[in-house]
Amino acid sequence: MFRVELKGLLARKLRLGLTAFAIALGVTLMAGTYIFTDTISASFDSIFSESSKGTDVTVTPQLAFGSSNDPNAPGLSLPASLLERVRSVEGVATAAGGIFGQATTFDKKGKRLNKGGAPAFVASVQPAPFEGFVPAEGRLPRTADEMALDKATVDRAGFALGDMVAVQGDAPRKRYRLVGAVRLGGVDGLGGSSSAVMTLPEAQRVTGRTGRFDEIDVAAKPGVDKAALKAAIRKVVPARGVAVRTGDEQAKKQSLDLRDALSPLRTILLVFAYISLFVGGFIIFNTFSITVAQRTREFALFRMLGATRRQILRAVLGESLVLGVLGSLIGIAGGLAVAPGLKALLKAFGADLPANGLVIESRTIVVSLIVGVLVTLIGGVAPALRATRVPPVAALREGIALPAGRNSRFATPLAVLLTLAGVAALVVGLFAGLDSTPTLTFVGAGAAAVFIGVALLSPKLVRPLASFVGWPLERVQGLTGRLARENTTRLPGRTAVTAAALMIGVTLVTFVSVFAAGVKKTIDQAVDTGLRGDLILESPGGQTAFTDATSTTLAKVPGVAAVSPIRFVSAKVTGQSGTISVTGIDPATFSEMYRAGWEKGSDAVLRDLKPGDVVVGKSYAESHDLDVGSRLHVLSATGASIDATVRGIIHDKAGLVGDLAMPNQVIASVFGQKQNAVSFLLFDRGADATRTKKVVDATLERQYPAVEAKTPKEFKDEQAGQVNTLLALFYALLALAIVVSLFGIVNTLVLSIHERTRELGMLRAIGTSRRQVRRMIRAEAVITSLIGGVIGIVLGLGLSVLVTQAIDDFSLAIPVGTVILVFVLAGLAGVFAAILPARRAARLNVLEALAYE
Amino acid sequence: MPALVSATDVTRRYGEGEAAVDALAGVSVDFPAGQFTAIMGPSGSGKSTLMHILAGLDRPTSGTVLIDGTDLGALDDKRLTELRRDKLGFIFQSFNLLPVLTAQENILLPLSIAGRDVDPAWLETLVGTVGLGDRLTHRPAELSGGQQQRVAVARALVSRPAVVFADEPTGNLDSRASEEVLRLLRQAVDEFGQTVIMVTHEQASADVADRIVEVADGRIVADRAPQPASS
Repeated sequence: MFRVELKGLLARKLRLGLTAFAIALGVTLMAGTYIFTDTISASFDSIFSESSKGTDVTVTPQLAFGSSNDPNAPGLSLPASLLERVRSVEGVATAAGGIFGQATTFDKKGKRLNKGGAPAFVASVQPAPFEGFVPAEGRLPRTADEMALDKATVDRAGFALGDMVAVQGDAPRKRYRLVGAVRLGGVDGLGGSSSAVMTLPEAQRVTGRTGRFDEIDVAAKPGVDKAALKAAIRKVVPARGVAVRTGDEQAKKQSLDLRDALSPLRTILLVFAYISLFVGGFIIFNTFSITVAQRTREFALFRMLGATRRQILRAVLGESLVLGVLGSLIGIAGGLAVAPGLKALLKAFGADLPANGLVIESRTIVVSLIVGVLVTLIGGVAPALRATRVPPVAALREGIALPAGRNSRFATPLAVLLTLAGVAALVVGLFAGLDSTPTLTFVGAGAAAVFIGVALLSPKLVRPLASFVGWPLERVQGLTGRLARENTTRLPGRTAVTAAALMIGVTLVTFVSVFAAGVKKTIDQAVDTGLRGDLILESPGGQTAFTDATSTTLAKVPGVAAVSPIRFVSAKVTGQSGTISVTGIDPATFSEMYRAGWEKGSDAVLRDLKPGDVVVGKSYAESHDLDVGSRLHVLSATGASIDATVRGIIHDKAGLVGDLAMPNQVIASVFGQKQNAVSFLLFDRGADATRTKKVVDATLERQYPAVEAKTPKEFKDEQAGQVNTLLALFYALLALAIVVSLFGIVNTLVLSIHERTRELGMLRAIGTSRRQVRRMIRAEAVITSLIGGVIGIVLGLGLSVLVTQAIDDFSLAIPVGTVILVFVLAGLAGVFAAILPARRAARLNVLEALAYE
Repeated sequence: MPALVSATDVTRRYGEGEAAVDALAGVSVDFPAGQFTAIMGPSGSGKSTLMHILAGLDRPTSGTVLIDGTDLGALDDKRLTELRRDKLGFIFQSFNLLPVLTAQENILLPLSIAGRDVDPAWLETLVGTVGLGDRLTHRPAELSGGQQQRVAVARALVSRPAVVFADEPTGNLDSRASEEVLRLLRQAVDEFGQTVIMVTHEQASADVADRIVEVADGRIVADRAPQPASS
């Protein structure tokens, strides 16, 4: 029985191919994501282990919580005195301190070398056996006037050995002779970043850490056990704020940190893979439904010949199993091809990550195969069950309809229930204030339920929607338009499921475009209503904290009234779980430059804010039952803590003030953050804005190249640009789901045309031209895709409104132009999907078609 | 009388070499305007192939077919389609109505395809003749076989074609409905001067025609007048 099925499957190669691709595309993204992220991890792992080869034990500063990769984490370092103590430990052969910090490197024209947010590192030369940097050309620096650069940067910037390269960190800009191009851990460079290598004292001076180290590397005497040495060193270093690890442990920790950092990226890509697979599942379901209906007589014949229902079920499911395996294998192969493409895609969106070779873990293959096959099987179950209900007598009678399922009268109520349950899950996920994982689960499951529910309900919508979107086609095309509309409503269920596949993509495209428009509007409003300052100071890309020396320097610029630095840190509060965000402000100037709404208190509270005082954000105050006078014990990642009293409750719609706000003084002393994340700058009344900005720009360029000044408009534009970049990435990933749904439209059309062969033959015989046939099929595809477009846009808008409501102080903005464009593109998708089926239909041989049964 | 449809030395060969089969082995026949001709023959005689070639649905291996002075062999697919649309009418054994259209829309289909307006008086005459006045808004699925075939007859006549081809028009009908359809074809010839060429294997059907062309083994074996009904 199965062999027969397999033969049948192979006989219908076009359908087999189209259907397998519906699954393969989703699996491609899934496998590609795994391969890509595994490759990045492996690349870094080899860098980590390679660069720590000679190190037996590592001593590093340690945060009490949070990650040192957080740009706002306090920059902790170790005192030089610790090195002496480590050296004195029995069993230590050598120990050396090292620096790994950030400083701006300049290109030949004196511009910042790294565009966008890519970091510029500065590191110290380490003595043997710890040297991580190996010269590919030239040598390592020996004097304070020499430096080396990673080979990738040397190549990219077009430097030659002997060139003078300028670097500026905490210390003023200085020019160094380039003496070497180095490799780190076997790679030429780390993504788009740059690494400047200097002698230890020079690196300390540049990073402002004279007399301090970022890391102490230890080599054991021969025969000394690493773990024992680690324990011995542990005893001589402070118990708090210092981590001691063996070299292997250190490499492992770095590797784990990296995996953590990569995990959001992986999650996002996988979410899109699952979306495509979900759409693929619809297509499997639809294709099997159609073919089962078309093969009613075949199944009846099998039943007449004695096949049991179970055998029929097994045969159809076996077919979907074969399809699932085939699709998944194509997908895994596609993943191999696509992984480098993902790297290119992310690079195009500004994230250049090192990925050497292709790492295929067995997990990649197992998970891709299981998920691909499961989706196919689930899609095939309902049609397979339908096939089992074909009565043997159907073999003898022509045109017998499949008996309706016993439960079919419950279909509509069930669909309504499913839709409502989905909406309920969405509401719970969005409004219940759960953690991120359950929120995602609820929202994902809710959205899936809504999609399935609406797809099941939409057969009832097909007729009116087809009339609505088909009307203009009928006006323009006449008969072919009319026939197209009638053909789409002939089997509304089939059209509905086909359209639903596209609907999913359209819903999500609509949603992300509305959401992005809302983000932009929210930022605009926040800047327009909140900001009273004239300029905003930030690192390029806003991801790095910068020196507070900017404040005093810029305050002296003629025309500048004041500079108000703002800092961000994470904290914990005794008795509460999770970390909270703390904003550091300058009490004297903050309220001059930023207008926050007040729930309790006034700007005077901020002006009088002293160490030990705290202002609390409204939502945090509400969720933790705080009022003026409440006391909090706030813990810092450095291990320090402070008792604070609530002095006011602020309602900051822009979200600049996080959960808590404290004076910068406390942020420096307790939280170890002496650098600013942002600063606002206010001009003197009557100052020439253009000229003052020019002087500020020139001052920054000269003294603080890692900081940029933006007018509110520039800031808004830059934020909008970042949103647009992300939006484009999401569009690119959603395009995959749309492409999958196009396969569904093609598939449905091909199968429907096949059913209507004789009709087409008659139409051609009585004088319908090939062109008219093509137009008819095209109109059919366009109507189907526009039905998906209309439902998708409506759902997308609904989802947007719901999500907007769930986020505090989030503005709703509907990009009407984009929504119209989405609708038009949905129609164009139909035109595109129709190309192949229309050609096939037009090429039908009239006589054969007429004789077709 | 000049021939409206004429075939000269028409052959049609299927396959190649040893396995080649001659469905038509040199057929020459003329059909004058206003005549009702029945092409008769057993299964596999080549009668359907002949009709397909006469109607421009299939191309002969050799020989020429003229319809109303036009050489079908000189036409590309587009022109041939236009010729079928403008000059020919078709009636099929299995009705071949579009299930999504009403009876009236099915009747008007050839005009819709051509983008031409209907002559309301002609439509009224036609509908009256085929006797479907009250069923025009029904879809084919709601009509009996006989009614469906009457719709198909009206569809074939609506564009006033030069010639109507009917391929076993009674093959799927009971005797009463068959008689009805044959009467309609007869009426079309007698009252509207329509030319009709009908393929059938039933003697009783053929006897309604003015002339019977008998085909066997790819050749015309007889070209005669029908037997009087009494004999």
